Amino acid sequence: MDAKTIVFGETAIDRLLQWLRASGEPKDVHELLLQYLEILCKLVTEESE
Amino acid sequence: MTATTGTLADEVWRLMTAQGVLFAVDAPIRQTLSNLVEFFATRLQRDPAQVQAELEAALAADERFTREEVQGQVIYVTSRQGRYIPRDTTDPHTFKQRLYEPEHPLPVDDLSVVVSTSPPAITTNEPVYISDYWIEQARLLAAAQMPSPPAEKPSVEVTETVVMPKQPAAETTMAQPLSEVPATVEVPPTTPAEPVEAAAVTAEPAVVASEPTPGEHSTIMTVDGLTIDLSRSPAEIVAEHGPALERILAERLAQDPLRRIVSFGRLHYPESGLIGFGKNDLRKIRDYILERNEPLLDTEIIADLYYHNPRQSDYETFRFSLNYRLSREKDFEFVGVEGANIWSTKGLPTIGSKRVKAAEMGQLTSYLIEGFDDSLADQSAESIISSGSVTRLLTFFEWEYGLLPLDAALATLLPAPLLPDQRTAVLRFESPQHYSNYLVEVRYPTGNRGGWLQGLEDFFREYLVPGALITISRTDAVNVFNITYEEAGETTERLLTFDEKKNRFAFANLTFYCAVDDDLLPTQNRYGKLRNLKAFPMSERRKAEMILEHVCETMGERGGTREQPVYRVSFADIYVAYNVLRPASRSFLQALLDSHASIAADPTASGDYLFTMPQVDRDDTEEEETTDDIDLPQPTLRRRSGRYIEEDE
Repeated sequence: MDAKTIVFGETAIDRLLQWLRASGEPKDVHELLLQYLEILCKLVTEESE
Repeated sequence: MTATTGTLADEVWRLMTAQGVLFAVDAPIRQTLSNLVEFFATRLQRDPAQVQAELEAALAADERFTREEVQGQVIYVTSRQGRYIPRDTTDPHTFKQRLYEPEHPLPVDDLSVVVSTSPPAITTNEPVYISDYWIEQARLLAAAQMPSPPAEKPSVEVTETVVMPKQPAAETTMAQPLSEVPATVEVPPTTPAEPVEAAAVTAEPAVVASEPTPGEHSTIMTVDGLTIDLSRSPAEIVAEHGPALERILAERLAQDPLRRIVSFGRLHYPESGLIGFGKNDLRKIRDYILERNEPLLDTEIIADLYYHNPRQSDYETFRFSLNYRLSREKDFEFVGVEGANIWSTKGLPTIGSKRVKAAEMGQLTSYLIEGFDDSLADQSAESIISSGSVTRLLTFFEWEYGLLPLDAALATLLPAPLLPDQRTAVLRFESPQHYSNYLVEVRYPTGNRGGWLQGLEDFFREYLVPGALITISRTDAVNVFNITYEEAGETTERLLTFDEKKNRFAFANLTFYCAVDDDLLPTQNRYGKLRNLKAFPMSERRKAEMILEHVCETMGERGGTREQPVYRVSFADIYVAYNVLRPASRSFLQALLDSHASIAADPTASGDYLFTMPQVDRDDTEEEETTDDIDLPQPTLRRRSGRYIEEDE
């Protein structure tokens, strides 16, 4: 996926939501950001490969 | 034309224009001569032949009439605007002509081109709201359908030598080893039209080189001006842009119209996973807070009302759900800090003195917002953080009302508000020396109003006196602080007090057991003039210059002339007296003194100031009145523009 098409805070939020739901407890925004960046990095790198 | 004929012609014209009163102003109005003769002969009772002769003579001489003869009948023509002038209908630019005889007519191949049997479609542009969810889905779909990049793609040449090879010759160029490819490649023209394009590519190599090829995926993402390379690890990105990205992510999640992820403070959780709290739950919580008569921690509410145990797996979810639900209810107010979610509700007793309203106190402490906060001069922020305590001297105003301005030193020690719109926090101050504790409300600064702490009135009045040295220090709990003071032997002094019933200051014997700063202790021996201070209403005390003038006048040694007295007063006296009426820092007072037009530093004595009263012409009556008012001096009238001049008026 081209990073230029990513809208931060909108793109792949559903994946973040899944992760948050699976974790079973509220998460700090710091953890949330780390996880979200991980999802975005995967989106960019996986699809470019 | 004679007067008679002129009168006759006028009468004919009035007659004819009355006949055509509804005509257009330039429309012809016609009348036959025979009708006119008949009318006037009957009316004037004269011979018709004579009347006809007079009419013909009169109308021929008048230019408003035109004579016509139609089939042997004489007709006179006029119009409402005077002489009738026929319209010029020879207009070459009529719409009719342009419609049917266009300048560049289209070829008519078919009759349907000209004449349509179906009615034209009416197009309307109505705004259609598309949910962000679908926009995102469309973007994801488009991203998924994008062609994947070629398996083997040179890495360097794409960015270094992106010469758009539209011509067949470019294929040869791409196949060459990259090291041998020049930065700009001139492609031989294949058609006469193409050299221009090739030249354009060659002329702007830098611009073209910075653009990636259409098939390449960029890893650079831009977020609110931040450039983020997603090829780096998330930890590296967070280390560089962590706080900004956290803020942006929280904002974007809050703006999500579907509110899929909700937040309370820094915590986030899916909205669909929240535990529901109904109206009965909310009423039960509110009743319980009222029963306990003080704001409660969320953990207390959960334990006492829901018997939930922290060891239960859904405890944190339950806690988050409760906090999130209460934060959306108007009946509840969050008064906690990070790590201690404390909830208050309507109906709880007010914490602190009611004698000073919040709006008034916010104005009295506005000097902290305006840059006159020197609380970190004696104790740096680093030392406060490392020691976890703040030491300060009490002023009379703070002692009297149990208030402490939320200056930089206290703000460093106390926790910041957790929620963006949070106005207050409730902390517990414990006195280990007396085994007592007090609820203290922290009012955070808003806009141009300063912050303060309130609720220490009982503690101050019971154990301390103005000038006492107090220490506020952290404990293990984020919402609990210790307040201590240095103990000393029993001392009895005649100190300044405020008699609320008489609304005036007085001196009374007080016994205290704390160490004090003698310069700030308002004893009668040293600061006897303090009793002459006028206890202005709180709403008046925000007028900083007016209070300063009153303090100088009250505390100063009178000199100068009878008409224009001059008061000499020391800075230390001003500071003590000013802090009797309202809180102020030394830097704030210094700035006030420096900017005051009637106050100047005494060149003969360092630290003293001279306040020159404006010259007033007084008669005997005024003198007597002034003499009577010695015990209770009136405030000096404002004589110039000040900080609150608009509100003064």
